Amino acid sequence: MVVVQTADFDPAELYAALQARASGQAGATVSFIGTVRDYAPGETTRSLFLDHYPGMCEREIQALCDTAAQRWRILDAMVVHRVGELALGDRIVFVGVASAHRGDAFRACEYIIDALKTRAPFWKRETLDSGRAFWVRQHEADAAKTAQWDTRKPGHEETKP
Amino acid sequence: MSGATIEVLYFAQVAEHMGTRRETQALDGPVPASQWLAGLVARCPALAPAERLKLAVNQQHVDHEATIRPGDEVAVFEPVTGG
Repeated sequence: MVVVQTADFDPAELYAALQARASGQAGATVSFIGTVRDYAPGETTRSLFLDHYPGMCEREIQALCDTAAQRWRILDAMVVHRVGELALGDRIVFVGVASAHRGDAFRACEYIIDALKTRAPFWKRETLDSGRAFWVRQHEADAAKTAQWDTRKPGHEETKP
Repeated sequence: MSGATIEVLYFAQVAEHMGTRRETQALDGPVPASQWLAGLVARCPALAPAERLKLAVNQQHVDHEATIRPGDEVAVFEPVTGG
């Protein structure tokens, strides 16, 4: 399930929904929650605005969930991503993966958030306390981390053929 | 194919530079994405360098070697920063 929305989400509700969708088969559920933090060094972040490409966002994220389901033994993956105006400390994204086994759940969850950061068409515009605003640059480390999944680094090998 | 068009979408900083988020452009036949993008940067130099820009055609990521055809939905944006 992939949802892009302006409203906040309740992690407990999403966890419950993930459990229900896994029909009692989930021995392991791993979730990742991303929140608005101070991005700029030395200056406090006041707010964040997220622009996005409606339609392509949902399609890209669903494709990442499908890839995860092909590479690892997972029962379900759920992603909720917020857009619009967000304040410091607000939740941005939820990634939840249910699996019979924790190793698959951890790897699939990490893969989805890593790949989302370099493939899903969202853009962050940060406003500092001083009022200065700028579009956030993609971190080279994020691109490198996603590339590592493509080269199938040791320890992240698939559990499915 | 006279009268054929493409729908062009701009996002984030690219939209700010272009002063719009969406426009319809005439396109009479297939064109290499790199050539089309060079034309866009010539029109709006703030977008340079073109190599930095990302493209999606019909909501799929493509590289600059792709071909843009009449009827396509083309999106132009900087590297994504979600998550």
